[in-house]
Amino acid sequence: MNKNKEQLLNKRYKAEQRFRLYGLSAIFMALLFLTIFIFKIFSTGYSAFQKTWLIVPVTFDAELMMLDQNPSKEDLQDADYYDIALKSMADLDPNANEDQENELKRMVSYFFEKEIKNELLNDPNLIGKTKEVYLTASDDLDQVFKGNYPRDLPEDQRRVSDYQLKIFDQLVANGKVESKFNISFFTNADSREAELAGIASSFMGSIFSILVCLMIAFPVAVLAAIYLEEFAPKNRFTDFIEVNINNLAAVPSIVFGLLGLGVLLAIFHLPRSTPLVGGITLSLMTLPTIIIAARASLKAVPPSIREAALAMGASRMQTTIHHTVPLSMPGTLSGTIIGLAQALGETAPLILIGMVAFVNTIPGSPMDPAASLPVQIYIWAESAERGFVEKVSACIMVLLGFLIIMNLFAQIIRHKFEKKWS
Amino acid sequence: MIKIKAKDVDVFYGKKQALFNISLDIEENQVTALIGPSGCGKSTFLRCLNRMNDVIDICSVKGEILINDFNINDKSCDVVRLREKIGMVFQKPNPFPKTLYENVSYGPTIHGMAQSKQEMDEIVETSLKKAALWEEVKDRLHEPGTGLSGGQQQRLCIARAISVRPEVILMDEPCSALDPIATAQIEELIDELKKEHTIIIVTHSMAQAARVSQNTGFFHLGQLIEHGSTDKIFKNPDNKKTQDYITGRFG
Repeated sequence: MNKNKEQLLNKRYKAEQRFRLYGLSAIFMALLFLTIFIFKIFSTGYSAFQKTWLIVPVTFDAELMMLDQNPSKEDLQDADYYDIALKSMADLDPNANEDQENELKRMVSYFFEKEIKNELLNDPNLIGKTKEVYLTASDDLDQVFKGNYPRDLPEDQRRVSDYQLKIFDQLVANGKVESKFNISFFTNADSREAELAGIASSFMGSIFSILVCLMIAFPVAVLAAIYLEEFAPKNRFTDFIEVNINNLAAVPSIVFGLLGLGVLLAIFHLPRSTPLVGGITLSLMTLPTIIIAARASLKAVPPSIREAALAMGASRMQTTIHHTVPLSMPGTLSGTIIGLAQALGETAPLILIGMVAFVNTIPGSPMDPAASLPVQIYIWAESAERGFVEKVSACIMVLLGFLIIMNLFAQIIRHKFEKKWS
Repeated sequence: MIKIKAKDVDVFYGKKQALFNISLDIEENQVTALIGPSGCGKSTFLRCLNRMNDVIDICSVKGEILINDFNINDKSCDVVRLREKIGMVFQKPNPFPKTLYENVSYGPTIHGMAQSKQEMDEIVETSLKKAALWEEVKDRLHEPGTGLSGGQQQRLCIARAISVRPEVILMDEPCSALDPIATAQIEELIDELKKEHTIIIVTHSMAQAARVSQNTGFFHLGQLIEHGSTDKIFKNPDNKKTQDYITGRFG
């Protein structure tokens, strides 16, 4: 009998040890996946924050630019820069034939004309002189310089020709290629050219969408939760509503996208592809999440507090507004942030309401067309150019950073409230 | 003088009847203790007096409860005004998770009893003094009320209840969560408060009822078995059940 007991005890200890081991290995697995994921994103994406520039001597030939003597500011604006831009590129190889000149032109972005123009607008005294100007390298050369380009492929399988590589290598050897922090990634809107594409439009689109979503979902959800929890009679009808709210939280997001498409765009004719419509659609999705969180935290307020207030002669509304709601705020807020974080990462409904459109302007209000960060990731991931690969990862990094900042913000608010109320 | 007159009060929780035909008179400026075993309906009766049973959806109250000859179960009775006149102290100390000052000033604020900050300060000070808490907390009025000890919290709740100068104070086992020293303090306080307020206290402890009350009502299974002066109930009860309960044969 005694021996049996001993064995049983040993068995129990062993079972406990095994159980701990399972738990530990589960955590280890989760951490491993997370590390691999983050490592992959960072190692692919970090190079997108660097941009390659070619330093090319440009001669500001007044004749080629069709400028008179002593040109005014307007004249400089309207001048023709294409010829001098072409000439500066062609001059990189004095022996180049016509085809090769064309190839030389394609070593920089199509923006090179503007870059040269800006140089002159900044300093009009340059007319007639020669200056070395920084020109954005084409996305392929950018990748070559970052070492991400398979140079050893046969030439006919590459977008960069041997000739371009030769000239580029010469420039590198002469120190005429430089890598600088990629400001335009944050200030440019989307572009078909990877070297010019930025996240400004989608970032602003995301911010506007989230703000619209917050402004609609939060007040509606909190009021609904307060009514259901504090005022509504408990009967079949309210039970029915409760069940439906819970169901609504489980509806796939693309269904909300269809709703946005069918109601907001088709019936109310709100402007297509805008954060306004995106935000409203997302708020439908966020609403049940916030209602559930707000109700749970209202329920968690001890009834003794309500009784205390009621016994003091507070009306039901005073009890709710003075005591119950403030006490439930931390929980409600964290629920809201979770809902918003979900909305921030949502892609499917936004694609349906047209926020997937190619937008090359930065939106100034929720009424302007825009993309959003996750949709931008989707658009870029679909693109064929090698230059977009790193952009996808960089965009993911920005999105993750955004989420982390939001959560941090939520934690701080939560912490402050909790200190105050207990 | 009779302050509260209950006439044939029945209380139902859904279909279950919790109180049967309770008729009880409560004397002004005296302490009335309600005693009886658990679940006998004494707290339910207490909660009828400030209509706190309204909060419970399934609870319905029948009969007349006259306070100053006015039936509080009448439709014309406004519960907000009623609860201003009838304060309540609960079993578990339940201060608001706010500062001491805010706890005491809450009632006067919502009932508009102070015209200025000064007046409010005065109300807070006198209430805390009457609750015998002032000396202990006067330097930390703006700290959270939840930081006090259990006994202090209960006295804070008493201060909160008397801040609106109620005519009646209902106490629902105010000492059941407190240690003997804190209990003694509260009992002393009750003795002091009866000069200005009518007090009805529900208690589990017969010794406490004997110490603090002038009148006692004994409840059993939803019925008021006997009521009268505390002396009589404890020394020479008319009913056999009362005697058995007092002497500890059941309960």
